[in-house]
Amino acid sequence: MTHTTDTVLVIILLSVLLSLGSSRLKALVETMALQGIMVSLVPILLDYGADGHVGGSLIFVQIMIVIKGVLIPGLLFTAARRMTIKREIEPIIGYHASLLAGLIMIMVSTLVTQRMHLTLPVGREMLLTTAITTLAAGLFLMMSRRKAITQVIGYLMLENGIYLVGTALTKQSHTLYVIEFGVLLDLLVGVMIMGIILNNINHAFDDVDTTYLGSLKD
Amino acid sequence: MIEYVFILPIIGGLLALFVPVVMARGLLILAALFHLSLTVLGWMGKLAPVYVNYFRVTPEGMLVLMVTSFIFVFISIYAVSYAYETNLQNERIFVSCMLLFLGTMSMVALSDHPIMLWIAVEATTLVSAPLIFIKRSKEALEATWKYVMICSVGIALALLGCFFITLSMDIGNIDVALSFSSLNLVAKQLDPLWLKTGFVFIVIGFGTKMGLAPMHTWLPDAHSQAPSAASALLSGALLNCAFLGIFKVNALMHVAGLGGFSSNVLVAFGLLSVLVAGIFILNQPDYKRMLAYSSIENMGVIAFGIGVGGIASFGAIIHLIHHSLLKSSLFLSAGNLLLGFGTKLVPKVGNIAKLFPATFVSFFAGFAGISGFPPFGVFISEILIIIGAFQAGRYGSVGILIFGLLLVFAGAARIVMDISFGETSQEVLVKEKFFRVMPSFVLLLTSIGLCLWLPNSIYQKILHTIEIIGGGFHG
Repeated sequence: MTHTTDTVLVIILLSVLLSLGSSRLKALVETMALQGIMVSLVPILLDYGADGHVGGSLIFVQIMIVIKGVLIPGLLFTAARRMTIKREIEPIIGYHASLLAGLIMIMVSTLVTQRMHLTLPVGREMLLTTAITTLAAGLFLMMSRRKAITQVIGYLMLENGIYLVGTALTKQSHTLYVIEFGVLLDLLVGVMIMGIILNNINHAFDDVDTTYLGSLKD
Repeated sequence: MIEYVFILPIIGGLLALFVPVVMARGLLILAALFHLSLTVLGWMGKLAPVYVNYFRVTPEGMLVLMVTSFIFVFISIYAVSYAYETNLQNERIFVSCMLLFLGTMSMVALSDHPIMLWIAVEATTLVSAPLIFIKRSKEALEATWKYVMICSVGIALALLGCFFITLSMDIGNIDVALSFSSLNLVAKQLDPLWLKTGFVFIVIGFGTKMGLAPMHTWLPDAHSQAPSAASALLSGALLNCAFLGIFKVNALMHVAGLGGFSSNVLVAFGLLSVLVAGIFILNQPDYKRMLAYSSIENMGVIAFGIGVGGIASFGAIIHLIHHSLLKSSLFLSAGNLLLGFGTKLVPKVGNIAKLFPATFVSFFAGFAGISGFPPFGVFISEILIIIGAFQAGRYGSVGILIFGLLLVFAGAARIVMDISFGETSQEVLVKEKFFRVMPSFVLLLTSIGLCLWLPNSIYQKILHTIEIIGGGFHG
């Protein structure tokens, strides 16, 4: 099933590039929903490829798809709809430059994966490359966009990347569903709280631009 | 079943959302007292964990839990009085988040599984964010946003660190349960390169939460904008919990024979924090921000002490206890001043020696304590840390540390003198009340008490805590 896994990983990589280049908030949230679903599928595909049967992890994957693919994007949509957004994304670094940066990130992560000299199981190198790219692109998105909501999306992408690194590097035998579920719950509640703050920022400043959030300093 | 220590506050916190405000206040005090009694039982070893895969009673965890539980009782008394007098908006949310905060911090103290610890630390961020935001001003909004974003990203990096530690396990071909206690048993077989990488990520991640420079930028904003009861908890309890995460991985590094590396990392971050705090405190116009920078300094001192090891690590743990007591007392006193004057700006506040005599005594005594004057415990801890650093031959580091401490003292002394004896044109809005003064005094007296006489059980707990990193009086 390596073939399917590779397809999924390529879709994740494309979603990263798409989110770096997108100028519409709605499209960005949709891309994140797609990415969330694809990321949730990766562990089950790896599992399937390894020993040919799918165990109890199936239920967990379903929960994860619901949270990452439906609930969190839904929350972001609600937050986005309530906002008075004048211009949509307002990048600090332009879209074309961001795309170029994304391509460079893919190259660097391929290089890093090769230089790490890990004896990874077959097919995991590609996964690790994807993971590092997603992680770096998430950080990049947080820093290069002015809107507070885009920073939340960047954070989600960072979290997706870290989850993929975890899947790529560690054996499945360490997986405890209580733990995985706790991490997911934290993420969900985190996005909810960020959504509430976003809403309040919008009320207080009539915008969600982070340049307004600069009055506290020394 | 020691898990009740965090389950009950969490249930109480959820309950507080649905009961009338008066009952919620009662619930807060009741839960605090109940938590303290459970903690005492746990301290005496009468309670054992049920979910042994995730939780465990450890000496370092119990120390942090005891400090948290003790200061929470007095902070909750203050909080109830404060909320009653100021007609705090959204009081049920406030009470609920305070209890959830207590619950998640207790969970950090008991966690044995690295990722469970991570989940609990992230949860503390999420449930304390509404506390900072409770006043709904624009500044509070900004502080909350920075707090949630910076800490979430920081802690996300700590999760990456946890995965690297798991990787070091896989490379070493070890098949044990993923928990600090079982990792310590097989530490020598872990892959050193990935263990080091994991440690660095965890120090950066939890260090963000602990307020180590240069990841401290959220801390002065959050601590100054939160209501004072919440600031006292953030500073006195939360920072310790984040430190616990670093301490456990540092212990693992020591057992794995990589203690030299982890010590140097901690010493560097510690010194940088002390220096940064010293620089920013010098011309600080806001007295709550001054206290926040002092917290950064003290966290730096603790990291430094643990990094130096030996007798200094004993000092660091003592410092942690006394910093919590003194700093929460100081934040509560600062809350009285803020309530009384309605401003946090030093130039507008003054002459508290006449206007607020009781608060003046507690604020001034707290300042003397945190600056390292006897009879408060910070005096002993800082001396132990400095002696330890000399024994370890880190002369240059000691020089930088003492310079940083002097800077902080100079900056803070100016502010404290100014607001204690300076002129003010401000009207007194709210007078000090017994229940808002008593908690600070109890916390101060506890610090004096623990300085004069350290009970044997605490002494033994500290020794057991630092045993694993080779600390103690003979190290």
